[in-house]
Parts: sequence; C-alpha cells; structure tokens
Amino acid sequence: MDHPTPTSRLVSADHCSSLRHKGMYVMAEPDPKESKYFDAYDATAYWCLRTQRAVGPDGLPVHADTCRMGRGCCEP
Amino acid sequence: MASWPAHPALLGTPTRRVDGPVKASGRAKYTYDLQRPGMLYGRILRSPHACARVLSIDLSAAERAPGVKFAMPVIDLANPEPLTHKVMYQGQEVAALAAETEEQGADAARLIKVEYEVLPHVATVEQAMRPEAPKVFPDGNVREANVDETGDVEAALKASAHVVEGLYWTQVVTHSCLETHGLVCEWSGDQLTAWSSTQAVHGMREGLARGLGIPQTSIRVISQYMGGGFGSKLGTDPQDVICAQLAKGAGRAVKLMLDRKEEQLSTGNRPSAYARVRAGVDADGKLTAFDAETWGTGGAGRGAGYPLPYNIYQIPVRRRRHKDVYINAGTQRAMRAPGHPQGAFITEVVLDELADQAGLDPLELRLRNLPAEAPDEMWRRYFPMGAEKIGWSRRHATGDPTPGPIKRGLGCAANRWAGAGSRRTQGQCEIFPDGGVTMRIGTQDIGTGTRTLVKMVTAETFGLPLDQVVVEIGDTQYPFAPGSGGSITVGSVTPTTRVTCEKALAALAEKIAPELGVDPAAIVASNGRVHAVNDPSRGMPWKDACKRLGTAPISVDGQWETGLSSVGTSGVQFADVEVDVETGITRVRKIVCVQDCGLIIDRLTAESQCYGGITMGIGYALFEDRILDRNTGQMVNPNMEFYLLPGPSDIPAIDVTLMDQPERGVVGLGEPPTISTAAAIANAVSNAIGARIRHLPITPANVLAALAEARARERRGASGSPQATEPGGVQGAPPINIGGAR
Repeated sequence: MDHPTPTSRLVSADHCSSLRHKGMYVMAEPDPKESKYFDAYDATAYWCLRTQRAVGPDGLPVHADTCRMGRGCCEP
Repeated sequence: MASWPAHPALLGTPTRRVDGPVKASGRAKYTYDLQRPGMLYGRILRSPHACARVLSIDLSAAERAPGVKFAMPVIDLANPEPLTHKVMYQGQEVAALAAETEEQGADAARLIKVEYEVLPHVATVEQAMRPEAPKVFPDGNVREANVDETGDVEAALKASAHVVEGLYWTQVVTHSCLETHGLVCEWSGDQLTAWSSTQAVHGMREGLARGLGIPQTSIRVISQYMGGGFGSKLGTDPQDVICAQLAKGAGRAVKLMLDRKEEQLSTGNRPSAYARVRAGVDADGKLTAFDAETWGTGGAGRGAGYPLPYNIYQIPVRRRRHKDVYINAGTQRAMRAPGHPQGAFITEVVLDELADQAGLDPLELRLRNLPAEAPDEMWRRYFPMGAEKIGWSRRHATGDPTPGPIKRGLGCAANRWAGAGSRRTQGQCEIFPDGGVTMRIGTQDIGTGTRTLVKMVTAETFGLPLDQVVVEIGDTQYPFAPGSGGSITVGSVTPTTRVTCEKALAALAEKIAPELGVDPAAIVASNGRVHAVNDPSRGMPWKDACKRLGTAPISVDGQWETGLSSVGTSGVQFADVEVDVETGITRVRKIVCVQDCGLIIDRLTAESQCYGGITMGIGYALFEDRILDRNTGQMVNPNMEFYLLPGPSDIPAIDVTLMDQPERGVVGLGEPPTISTAAAIANAVSNAIGARIRHLPITPANVLAALAEARARERRGASGSPQATEPGGVQGAPPINIGGAR
C-alpha cells in the first residue's frame, strides 16, 4: 500500500519540506468553485515539523510566504 | 466502476454507533485510559511568562527528586539562534521529565530551576497595534494582506438607499476537547509505538518521524478511541516528540496527557475577528456594496483571516483589507470550519441591520439577495423551510413589544462548506472461508461515528448484518487514509470501503459463478445470500459461498474512486431566543437546522453532527471567551470553571432536517452545522431586545451594555448606526485606528 507524502496547492516543491498545514493531511480534492465564492482570505495554520510549532528552528513564524529556499533553516 | 445501491438495506437508516456500548460502559480505552507495563508519567514545565528569554535551565534538583527517571530541557540553550531561547506565550514548553507517578512528576517539575529575563509582552490586539508596542517578532506585530476589491465601493455606497456602518468582532475561543491532547509512547529497540489522541494516525507517524529523525517504518501510531479534536489534533505537537524522547531516555513507556490548563494555553484556538464595515442596500432591498477593514489575532502566529463578506449573498461591489496581528499567546489552529463562523457572524448581523434600515423583513432581504440559479439556488428553498419550522410568521419587528423583562426574538443565518473526498484513501478487505469479513482502513474515529459508517458500508455491500463484519481502523498498520478534518472523512472513507468491498465481492463471485451458471458480473449479495442480480433463486447462502474459497481467504486492496462522493454542502439555521433585559441572560429556546449532505450513510450520526455543531455554536455565541490579562499576558480562565461551555440546560430543542440527496453521493457534514449558529442567535437576540448585538460572546454584561447604548442613542436622538462599544467593554472609547497609530 502507498503511503503518500503530504502535498497541497498551498505548499509546493519550492517550499521547505518541513512546512505543514492541515490541508496536507486532509488531502481533499479542492472545490473548483471555492475561489469564486470566497475572497482570498488566509485562515491557514502552518507549523514546522522540526519544531512542531508555528515558528521555525530560527524562532521566526512559519508560513508559505516565508518558508522557502533562502531562509537559513529551510530544507529542500 | 463502483456505485451506491439503488435500494439499500442499511444505508440511510438511523443506526446506533457500533461502539456505543463499549463507550457507555467504559470498556472503550481512550489514550487517557491506557496503561502499559512499567509506564511512567511525563510532565512538561511551561513558561509562566507571556514573553521572556530563558537564561538557564537547571534540572539537577528535579533529577534527584523521588520517582524521576529522566529529565530534559525542551528549549535548547546551545542553539545559536537567540530567538529560540525566547518563550512567546504563557504555556510554552521549557523542560520535561518522566516520573513513576503523576504526583511525583508534578512535584519534580516544580524543582526545575529556570532563570528568565522577563520581556515586555502584548496580550491584546489593541496593545499590539500601538506604534510603541513591543514586537512579538522582529518584523513587527502586524502582517498586512493585499486589498481585495471588486468595483467602486465609494460610488456604490454613495448611491445606496441605506448604509450601515459599525465595528463588529468575535472573540478567541479554544477547541476544549473533552479528552486533552496526549499520548503514550513505548519503544522496543528502535521501534516506537505511540497510542495517540489524534485526528490523523498517519500524519502523526510522519510528524513523529521527522521530529525524532527516524524512519516512518520504525513507528506505529494507534488511535482506537479519542475524545474530540475539532481541528486541534491534526498535526504533531511538541508534547508528542517530547513524550517519545522521554520514553527513549527513561527506557520505559511514558504517558503524557496534558491537563486542562495546558490544553487551554498551548493546543490551539480559533482566532479573533474584528471588522469595521460599511455596507449598503438599494431601495429595492438589493445589496449594493460591502466594505471592510478587518483584523484579528491567531496569537504568536499568522492565519487570522476569514471570509468577508461571507459569500452566500450576491454583493456586486466589495472591498476588503485585512491585517493579521501577533500577540503573545498560544497560536491558532484549524477549528471546526476555520474562518467561517467569524465571517458568517459579521455578515449576517450586517444583513439584519440593513434590513432594519430598509424596513424589510430580514428573511425577505436575504431572499432578494440569494443566487437564483443552480448550483447555488438551494438557500432559496432552505430558508422558507426553516422559517416554517421556527414559526417566522410570528416574528415581530426589532424589539419585542411584549411588556415585562422577558423578550423573545427570532434570527436566521446560512452556511456553506466544501467537504470532499481524498483520492489517496486506501482500504483492504478480506473474506474468509468461514464467512467472516474484515475491512481495514487507516482512518480514525474522532467521535463522529466513522467506525459505524465503515461497518455499515461493508455490511451493505455483502448483504450481511452489521455484527457479521469486522472493521479495523485507527492504526498505521492499516492502509493509508487521510486525517479526519475538513469534513472529508465520510467522503474519503465510505467510497473507499465500497470500492474495496465490491472488489472483494467480485473475487468471490468469480469463484462461485461457474457453479451457479451465472456471469460473475451479474452476481450480487443481499439478505445473507450471494445470487444472480435478476434471479435471487440462483444463488447460495453467504457462508456456503465462502466455503468455496477452500483454505485461502480473498484479500483485496482498494482505492478511492470518483463518483461516490461530492463537494459542497449548504444549510440554514434559525434561532428562537428569550432574553431577560433586567439580567441580560439569554436562553436559546430552539434552533432549527436545514442542512444538505448528499447521500446519508447513517442518519443518526449525521444528525449528531448537527447537534454537536449547533451546541458548539451556542458556546461560541453565548459563553466561550479566552481572556488574557493585559498586564501579565496570562490566561485568566484556563479551566472549565471560568471558561464556560454549554451545559445540558443550555442546549435547546434542536430541530434538524437533513436534505436527502442520494444522487450526489456522500458529502461531509462535520463543519457546516457550527458555522451559522452564533449569527442566528445574535440576530435573534437583537430582534428580542431591540438593541444591536455586534460582538461575541453575548454575555449578560454585553446584553446590558447593548441596551444601555441603545438607550443612550435614543436620548441623544442619534440617527444612523449606533456607536459600537470597543473591545474591552469601554463604552464610547475612540474607534480603533487600524494602522495602529492611535
């Protein structure tokens, strides 16, 4: 049986491999209409697999905007 | 391709939970109940400060304390990153130990000597947004999102016949799971077994593996019964890795269950939501524009966004500017319909205000602004159904004219949610020669009845009674299934079960088809028999068919397929309340819920989702409020004595109408029923007392404040919208400057 690696439309291969959010474990097919009926709000709670918290190993917040290559603690 | 039965025997019937008796009798073992041989008890020392730098951690006295077998720092002072030495909120983990008893652990934790340099903190968004505020993170306390704008807001508002303007807000609430977060960890060599109260056994395994730096193949996670998560148990927490490290260090199994205070401080919350709104309606009662500056806090983390306007109603012109505000508090997490209850509350309250201004019945205003065409026309049908059930025709205009202190009122609100299924869900089914059936799937029952649903679909597919099939879930040794969140469990698990069982039945059909002289594809199972679909007499009893397997069971793997589930659920709710205008106490008399959810697998558990969601919505509306002391940054109600949840006497009559839609397949129902409850109640309270409720929770003090404000307005003879009371209950305080420059 396959044990898939968590992926999501919010987190891509460019992001740190330790970045996680709920959608990566829920893994649902996105609702194609969703962007039509809701504005681009962000209620996503991100966490880091290395700290298990909402801050990374550098003590700064984790988010899809910031957990990318170039941040010192980011791991491919 | 798999399909649901046209004439099901079990599906859609009200079926009691198969694990109800073991839960009711105490035989079901939750993580909290587990005992392992030689098990120790873990204890975490947490920061008492909202913001501080840890200068030293001395474990020596604790290590010598009676019963202590292992102690460790959690904050690594050898880490060269100075920010990692800071604690960002009260309750953050600092050190941990394992002891023979819980009491010895608690005593020893008090012996851990931690030297802190206490730093300035911010405990409220008002504090955090001041320009002179201490910074939670180096880049400041406010994260600004882009402006989201459609059309010319100023022109649309100017052209509106009526405009409302005001400040609306909702509070921070916690998930308040009855079973707190925690786990039991036991090592056997390099193999770790973790019994965890989790919403995602496979996710927990992945998180533990990454946190501990070991392969996933070295970890097994089990969650047979768990006492609620509501989104807070989808990820791996610090205490999970800490527990495994304590068990490794001590060489014995360790149980680490958080106490209620720890739970309230450090396991997530629903962010606050503030909105300064201007909205308009034309002379025909059509919404014209919605303009909002919004902000909120998810503590020491981002993600305080929410949908606004809550997009059910058609509003042609919109503008939204949002800011996330950091404060020194535990970070937010997904909580039952993330963002939706906040957005629904603010939008629906604004709609009622607009209706009052326009002199329209609020229901009529909604009907004039709902989409008219499929696939979004359903609220036009659901609202009248709910109105009929609540008795909307007896609704009076805002402000109950009945003499005496007890005022009655009605309110309504709508919801929508995606739900879906996950194509990654897998299952395994075995049919044994003695007629036994085992269905395995690595999902978990988080209290919603998943075990019952899997059993029903399995029994339905094989035409067997429930007690003749075995269901095994809640273990990473079973095939992969996603975490239970986002209302996707039923849409993932039941199609996968159906697909897998149909494959197994097809394999059995291949075995007996020659004997029956029937095409294997034309063989079905029902009423304890396996037979030709068009001729039940050409068949045999289930057990006889299974005997034909000889010594080898059938074992098949299956995977989720499209066509058995759908995306999208919608509903409306109505509230009937009475409010004592002398005491400010609100009592919800009745909630009417009209909710669609596709094909219903188990009517009882589907209704239970509505009861649970509505009860949670009542707590959000009337009681729950995480209160931080602005001077210390400490939570003043980290318990269940002063953090109030609805008790049995607070739960009203709840009238649930589930809209059967078997043609859509299954759709999850976990989240939508909680979205609109608080909004409906707030509108009902305003309808009762004649004063506008613009923020939650609707405590007696807030009701009395709203009445006092309304009376003051009357005395002033003010026209237009009332001046909102600012957060913190300071009447007449200057409005918040969203840029932080007060």
